[in-house]
Amino acid sequence: MSAAASTLRAIPLGRLRGQNNEGILALTIIVLAIVVGIADSSFWRLSTLLNIATSTLDNIVFAMGVLIVIISGGIDVSFMAIGIFAGYAVIVVTNNTGFGADIALVGFALAATIGLGLGMLNALAIAGLRLPTLIATLGTQGIIRGVLLAYVGSKVIPNYPPGLNDLSTSYLLTAHAPSGDTRLSVLILPAIVICVLISLMLRYTMVGRGIFAIGGDAESARRAGFPVVRIQVFIYGLVGVLAGIAGMMHVTQVRLANPYELVGGELDVIAAVVLGGASIFGGKGSVIGTVLGVVLISLIRNSLILLGVPGTWQRAAVGAMLIIGVTAQALGSSARRRPTGGVAMEATT
Amino acid sequence: MEADGTGRASGPSGSILRAEGISKRFGGVVALDDVTFDIRPGEVHTLAGENGSGKSTLIKIIAGVETPDAGTISVGDDAYARLTPRQAIALGIEVIFQDFSLFPNLSVAENIAVSTYIGDRRRTVRPSALRRIAADVVSRIGVRLDLDAPVEELSVADRQLTAICRALAQEARSIFMDEPTTALTRREVQALFRVVEQLKQRGVALVFVSHKLEEVLQISERITVLRNGRVVVSGDVAEFDRSALTVAMTGHAVTDTPPPDSLRKDARPLLEVQGLTSEGRFHDVTFSVRPGEILGVTGLLGSGRTEIAESLFGVVPADAGTIMVEGRPVRIRSVHDAIAAGIGYVPGDRLTQGVFIDQPIARNILAGSLDRVTGPADLVRPAAADQLVQRAAGDIRIKMSSSQAPVRTLSGGNQQRVVLAKWLVRGPHVLILNSPTVGVDVGSKHEILDLLRAKAHDGMGIIVISDDVPELVAVCHRVLVVRGGRIAGELSGERLTEDEIVKELA
Amino acid sequence: MSAAAAEPRREDPTARLVRRLVPDASVVRLFVLAVLVLIVFSVASPDFLTLINFQSMGLQVTEVGLLSLAIMVSMLTGGIDLSIISIANVAALVTAQLFAHHGGADAGSQQMGLYVVVGIAAGTACGLLNGVLIAKLRITPILATLGTMQLFNGLAIAWTGGKAIYGMPDSFLNIGNGYVGDVPIPVLILLGGAVLTAIFINRTGRGLRIQLLGANEVAAKYSGLRNERVLFVTYLASAFLASLAGIVIAARSASASADYGASYLLLAIVIVVLGGVNPLGGFGTVTGVVLAAFTLQMVNTGFNQVGFNAFLYQVAQGVILIGALGLSQLSERYGWASRLARAMPWRARGEPGVPEPPGALGPQLRTPGESHREEDVRGRPV
Repeated sequence: MSAAASTLRAIPLGRLRGQNNEGILALTIIVLAIVVGIADSSFWRLSTLLNIATSTLDNIVFAMGVLIVIISGGIDVSFMAIGIFAGYAVIVVTNNTGFGADIALVGFALAATIGLGLGMLNALAIAGLRLPTLIATLGTQGIIRGVLLAYVGSKVIPNYPPGLNDLSTSYLLTAHAPSGDTRLSVLILPAIVICVLISLMLRYTMVGRGIFAIGGDAESARRAGFPVVRIQVFIYGLVGVLAGIAGMMHVTQVRLANPYELVGGELDVIAAVVLGGASIFGGKGSVIGTVLGVVLISLIRNSLILLGVPGTWQRAAVGAMLIIGVTAQALGSSARRRPTGGVAMEATT
Repeated sequence: MEADGTGRASGPSGSILRAEGISKRFGGVVALDDVTFDIRPGEVHTLAGENGSGKSTLIKIIAGVETPDAGTISVGDDAYARLTPRQAIALGIEVIFQDFSLFPNLSVAENIAVSTYIGDRRRTVRPSALRRIAADVVSRIGVRLDLDAPVEELSVADRQLTAICRALAQEARSIFMDEPTTALTRREVQALFRVVEQLKQRGVALVFVSHKLEEVLQISERITVLRNGRVVVSGDVAEFDRSALTVAMTGHAVTDTPPPDSLRKDARPLLEVQGLTSEGRFHDVTFSVRPGEILGVTGLLGSGRTEIAESLFGVVPADAGTIMVEGRPVRIRSVHDAIAAGIGYVPGDRLTQGVFIDQPIARNILAGSLDRVTGPADLVRPAAADQLVQRAAGDIRIKMSSSQAPVRTLSGGNQQRVVLAKWLVRGPHVLILNSPTVGVDVGSKHEILDLLRAKAHDGMGIIVISDDVPELVAVCHRVLVVRGGRIAGELSGERLTEDEIVKELA
Repeated sequence: MSAAAAEPRREDPTARLVRRLVPDASVVRLFVLAVLVLIVFSVASPDFLTLINFQSMGLQVTEVGLLSLAIMVSMLTGGIDLSIISIANVAALVTAQLFAHHGGADAGSQQMGLYVVVGIAAGTACGLLNGVLIAKLRITPILATLGTMQLFNGLAIAWTGGKAIYGMPDSFLNIGNGYVGDVPIPVLILLGGAVLTAIFINRTGRGLRIQLLGANEVAAKYSGLRNERVLFVTYLASAFLASLAGIVIAARSASASADYGASYLLLAIVIVVLGGVNPLGGFGTVTGVVLAAFTLQMVNTGFNQVGFNAFLYQVAQGVILIGALGLSQLSERYGWASRLARAMPWRARGEPGVPEPPGALGPQLRTPGESHREEDVRGRPV
């Protein structure tokens, strides 16, 4: 059986499928795009592409963080809270103290630092107190959100420091369409850079391999000498940084600092990561798959609009998609998980 | 102190590693008491002992996974009060635990090579470099492995080879293997022993942890026996034979057991199995069990012996074949069906499959008979439940002071009795037991076997799956040998001796 | 050859009674905590220790209390039902829509009874989908209920266009705002629900199977417990309790909407964890959960009266969750709990002569980076 499997692996077609079915995901997206395009030809425009890219920017960066946690075998529901805390806090601080008012980059650096600090809360609970990840991050989400609304501010802030204002109107590309122009924010660049860096980290560094190892078998990782606690601190710190940056991106694009936003959207991102091929049990996942997952969900939302589906049906549709996707994954992987290497059947003499 | 030719100084009498005065307690339980143990290059030194003897704890301490309360571990000139996994690996100590501690989601190459990077404290990784390291090691000992396959797709034997290669990639000077042959077929065991020979020639020291007497005597140069956390005896293999080993490991002389009752020739079989087949697990199995008969089933792990039992009990229903209980054909598609048909099963893995370790004893016993103690509206009838538990526990004489105590508080032998009670209280026609006396102290062992004899005397049919050869001979009327998923032979009457069984298995 | 086996002694009847009433050291701890909280807030606020206040708290606690019971049931099997809020809203909406289209504020009490039953049935039916996904298709509960949560919520939004529904008769509103004597009706509903749940979990065959499944799924299979059915029943029960909560929410707020109660999820989990239910399954006590619900309600009201910022309640929830769980973890690792409980005389003792193994008082919680490996019969890591 292993001989057959290894020959299959040699076939480039098998490699195209991708380790976590990324190929199938890409195919799904293409098919969906074609279907929608047939239904509404206005879909096939640069503006649609830019639309999707722009609207998924922050989610992609959030998703990178979620991906890392899920690969390590955990789950995080606090990242949105960290994101909005960082974004909102930076606006408040910049408006009140003028610190970094002219240079958007300073604001981002501040957001990343705040995110790192908040991520340490998670690290303390999970690596330090050894709490189960779902419960721990549920708790930190409450704390972070509560502190934000209670102490940092609970009002919507419409005035932005000039640095951020400029950034929010910096565009990379513009697509002209009869219905109006669509622009691609310059923020797409840092998003791409982040994705590439994360991908490299996961593939080519010992920390990255350690994350996979912990997700595969935590005790074996410990026995093999991986510094498990240190890696976990790294994970949740990094997720905090990414969430901070993503939150800042969101707040920049929306041009409004609303502390009630983002929280509640965790599930969309987690769904995207899981649909993108990451196993909820840990040990598997890829950057490409995750990006595809986020794109797919955004595509579904967009196509629903184009297909004339009323906005009130969007959430139900995404929920159904998630269930179908997860079911397909479960059925597929259980087929693959048939007892291998079972009884060594010997021929009767 | 002399150098042993490998460039590393070795301790007195040429030992590579020496553990001295190791003691360890877990809470109130003494796991190890002043244990001293050393290994020399190029030898196989076996740590023998029953379960609970402390052998697993000892190797965990040496691997750095646990820390001792007292004692030192010396490698060469250096003595350590405790080790971390990284330190142990750096000292050339590699432990292969029974689950191999591999990463199922990573490739074979990565599993083999990645820990070398940990030792070198490297930050970056290149997959191609990992692959080269792995390929190098694999070719060095001349085995074949698909380097790119994810480990979760590998057979047990290949996983073990991967683990051994990983140990070698670390340039281990001493490799510990915990129960290495339990999951291997005969051929694979021979392949393993060939690799072991190669390792010995390179001057690697090997420590086997095992309770399998024949293999221990075959492969070792020296044997150290642990019992209740203490070293009982230690010496060259020539000083031991089977009975000496048994006495050392159990503390009891081998006792004679009475032969089984003779059977009524004309009784209709309680259980008839015909042509039972399960894809990839076993094929065309046919046998029967008569009232009062104790049928033994043996074979190497992986031969299909457990799989047959699990199909009879509905855990993994068979694909083809017929099963008849008391002359009536039954369809067994689930455990529920099997129980309804009058079959009970004491599983081989007590902690995972047999007991609910933290639940009360009473509830464990009731778990198999909830349908009998519930009344209208599915409410449990407390009186009925109490009665059932008292009856079950009394019948099998479980030593406990309260039925509400969690099963965790019982000894291994008593825990096994709880599992037995769960099924016996239902009065099954056929009771199947898988390795019933493993991890059970000698006293309980005899009592359980006596209990089985008594139940058989009362007319129950009993199937005992075991690789404990003396036990099979002592208690069974007939023994079936399973190999490669088929019934390869049957021994009874005069041919039912230990030597014959060992011959069939070899 | 064997020592004379001791006849399993019948328990001393007094000890048995005490053990029944106080099943757990953790319940004692909770009770003490509740009393402490009561004292602290009574001192901090003069209005706290009044009948009116207790009645007001009683009115509020039921909704989240029932939701906590729902989560408790699914957690007992080692899973979790994240869709309970959506299910509660579905039940509430079905009932509300029935009122809105047939009868409205003048509906008779018979009609009201019927509509309530239909609403609860609709919510419970949602549990069927969870059951199919988790029991039959073997999808992990977190993912399955994440999906159904979105789906149910989405369907509710589509149905109502995102708006709230009004127009219920007084007889219905009475459920959420009325009194029997001095006791608010919701409190009676909560206690009733708690008693039913306790009986279900501890005294019925299905309930025992749920506990056993949560304790050890493999052993449950080998005991013939039909795990599929048990899981089905679990998620149906969870949906039922959530539906009850939905009805109470609608009755108390005189309206139903697809988006109510979002903040209840964290709170319900906090209550359940505080109440001593292990998220990995197998242990739980209804008494603990109810005590925890009341305790947290007191914290909420107390914060209010003392004038804390409203959002601090959320912070408190997070702190309590991490604190309670963290303490239990630490005490597990350093053996504080076992030392404390050894002092409790009524705790059932194990086999005489066999020393108490470490960690005997509760299963360990598992997180990535630490898996506590038991050793099986052969000394094999399990």
